[in-house]
Amino acid sequence: MTNYIIRRILQMIPVLFGVTLLVFLLLRVSGDPVQLMLGEDATAEQVAQLRAAMGLDRPLHVQYISYMSDLLRGDFGTSIRYNNQPALQVVLERLPATAQLAGMALLVAIVISLPAAIIAAYWRGRIPDYIASFLSVLGQAMPSFWFGIMLILVFGITLSWLPVSGQDQPGAVILPGLALGASLAGVLTRLLRSSLLEVMNQDFIRTARAKGLHPRTIIFRHVLRNSILSYLTVIGLETAALMAGAVVTEQVFAWPGIGLLVIQAINFRDMAVVQAVIILSAIIVMMTSLIVDILYSLIDPRIQHG
Amino acid sequence: MSRLNPKRMLLGAVFAALMTGGALAQDRELVIAQGIDTPGFDIHNHSTSAVEAIHVNIFDYLVMRDQAGELQPALATDWEQVSDSAMRFHLREGVLFHDGTTMTAEDVKFSLERPALDPAVLQHSFYDTITEVEVVNDHEIIIHTDGPDPILLNRISRIGSGIVPKAYVDEVGWEGFSQKPIGTGPFKVVEWLRDDRIIMEGFDEHWRGAPAWDRLIHRTIPEASTRVGELISGGVDIATNIPSQDRDRVEGSGIAHAVPWPSFRVMQLFLNTKDDSPLADPKVREAIDLAIDNQMLIDTVTNGLGTPVRAAVTPGLSAVPMAYYDTYNFDPERAVQLLEEAGYGPNELQLKLQGPAGRYPLDVETLEIVAVMLNAVGIQTEIETLEWSAYESRVWTPNTIDGIALIGHANSLQDGYHAVQRARCGFEFSLKTGWCNEEFDKLIEQSAATVDPEERAQQISDAFDLFVASNTVLHLFQVENLIGVSTSVDWSPSPDEQLWMYDAQPQ
Repeated sequence: MTNYIIRRILQMIPVLFGVTLLVFLLLRVSGDPVQLMLGEDATAEQVAQLRAAMGLDRPLHVQYISYMSDLLRGDFGTSIRYNNQPALQVVLERLPATAQLAGMALLVAIVISLPAAIIAAYWRGRIPDYIASFLSVLGQAMPSFWFGIMLILVFGITLSWLPVSGQDQPGAVILPGLALGASLAGVLTRLLRSSLLEVMNQDFIRTARAKGLHPRTIIFRHVLRNSILSYLTVIGLETAALMAGAVVTEQVFAWPGIGLLVIQAINFRDMAVVQAVIILSAIIVMMTSLIVDILYSLIDPRIQHG
Repeated sequence: MSRLNPKRMLLGAVFAALMTGGALAQDRELVIAQGIDTPGFDIHNHSTSAVEAIHVNIFDYLVMRDQAGELQPALATDWEQVSDSAMRFHLREGVLFHDGTTMTAEDVKFSLERPALDPAVLQHSFYDTITEVEVVNDHEIIIHTDGPDPILLNRISRIGSGIVPKAYVDEVGWEGFSQKPIGTGPFKVVEWLRDDRIIMEGFDEHWRGAPAWDRLIHRTIPEASTRVGELISGGVDIATNIPSQDRDRVEGSGIAHAVPWPSFRVMQLFLNTKDDSPLADPKVREAIDLAIDNQMLIDTVTNGLGTPVRAAVTPGLSAVPMAYYDTYNFDPERAVQLLEEAGYGPNELQLKLQGPAGRYPLDVETLEIVAVMLNAVGIQTEIETLEWSAYESRVWTPNTIDGIALIGHANSLQDGYHAVQRARCGFEFSLKTGWCNEEFDKLIEQSAATVDPEERAQQISDAFDLFVASNTVLHLFQVENLIGVSTSVDWSPSPDEQLWMYDAQPQ
């Protein structure tokens, strides 16, 4: 097991290296930040001067080598959008907001999907199943942008029950959490429903039924326990994705997390911040998938890592 | 004034009644929402007017524009020209910074010499005519320039000319200052949460007198529909850049108005006359100018928000010929005739229209309507739009316009000279259009050394005439944004795009 973990961690190094190269090149190819910083009003001389001052006039490979050597020393560079604040600090200070939103979205997704999937599976092929399946497809199909605006319209503006946007007021996390959790709830409901059905068709369930066990006992003690593995896997991986920031939801709700940061950073060509977000996201995704794999083998002893 | 939640108000009222034995006191809070955050408070290191719009509440200038765009005394009480290249300023006495220290001439010298002398700061090129700020005594300074500088007062009443406390900056450095700023303005910064909010408190010792608000909150809400939502649900009192299609929704809410907010930005078409372009023929250029119905363009694209112009002139700018404002040339029949004279029958002339997508409100739509108008006089068009930074790096900066290109220029020095000086031979505009005119260059250079305002305005006006007649840059309209203002706030936007909240009153 220890060998496996060490091997997996070593495998991350070339992946991270590839990520830095890709992000670096894509950002440089798509334009530089100087004109954006100076505005249309700037003279050609000003643009050239600033470009030189920022080292953007050097050949690409020289810029990449200098970027990588800084990165290896833990220096992610400085944010040009935020007056040269360290990029890593700018990113890290957004983590709590993103974690709060991710937690709320997960809670929403689990609270909706768990009962919905059980109801759908239990009454398979009947009206409750159709309703649950319809809602889960709807949850997945609705663009979160549109759903977010609808939530704002209904609960924020018309009913005035909840704050429209921002993070500071009580209950502010509910609407963005709903907007973000809805599509995840759809995915999870469909996934859990089909794995519940799969287990319900197996012989040991038939045996349990034949023994005359109460249906509730069969569902919760036998079926659910044997179907939950893939459900937990997807939750684990989705958590990683949520921690990388929910760009659209955070933008709609002016939620000051990583998603809002990265979209603004891209618009401003704030390269150091974009790079820091993507590298951190890559690390979070890889670490989560490693943890999920380890948990897998703990939950299900049939899975072995040599 | 923000969110009036009945339950919370009731609770607050009960609580206040218990605490004060009946006297009800509520914090007067004003909430502004914009789409962007401040990059920090290093006032010399940004060039965004929407950021300056907030900073004006925290930092004072020596001179400041009033609602009419006229320069008025602020931290300087009066000033006089002492020589062609020097101006004396008398400073207001007893002005306090937010930390309670008194502003002196040393602070002014420190604040203005940084952008003037440090080429590394973003605002340097707007201040590089200043060679020295001489301290005469605690309340008198002389600004020395490298020659006559007729727009010195324009320079020191805009981005980067706020006065900051030298001792505090020496102590915390500019990095520290950028996080926790101190100024002499009517509001002081208490807390800044990036991409979320700036919390400011009214500064009771402010030299103009305490502002009418206890707290001023600036919120960053990037999504326009969310900004509108906050405005019409009472969450914010003032919201900038309301989309024109939401105008009726805001007005219909009964708790806010959508007020036109003119900007200095003028949408323009640059015509590349270089090489063997058909645009090298002045008749073709004039035909294009005559084919465009500026007012119809405004009515169609922006629902009537904007003013047609024939040059980059807008109210609030100094030394601009206002005859070119609120006017345009439109004569499609004459346009067809001119094209014929130039040798082009119907649909024989093909032109490309290039422009950025998403940089300005409705930029792509603007190009589409222009294309329709050109088609109507028999010019075939092809539209090519690019995301801004691709447009900037592939078309704009390399001066490689293929046909006609759309751009919006503001005027950060708020002066006519700045609007046209880059059309001189060899400068940015001329590199794009290929237009060179010796007489024009001479007028611009003369105006740069003329201190007498009337003489200078005449020179610039003559230069404008030559530039406009060349039809190498066709001006479409002055951009007008919409700003949402709650009915509980008495405030009107000024022509200089600033959000000066000292003037706002509760109502």
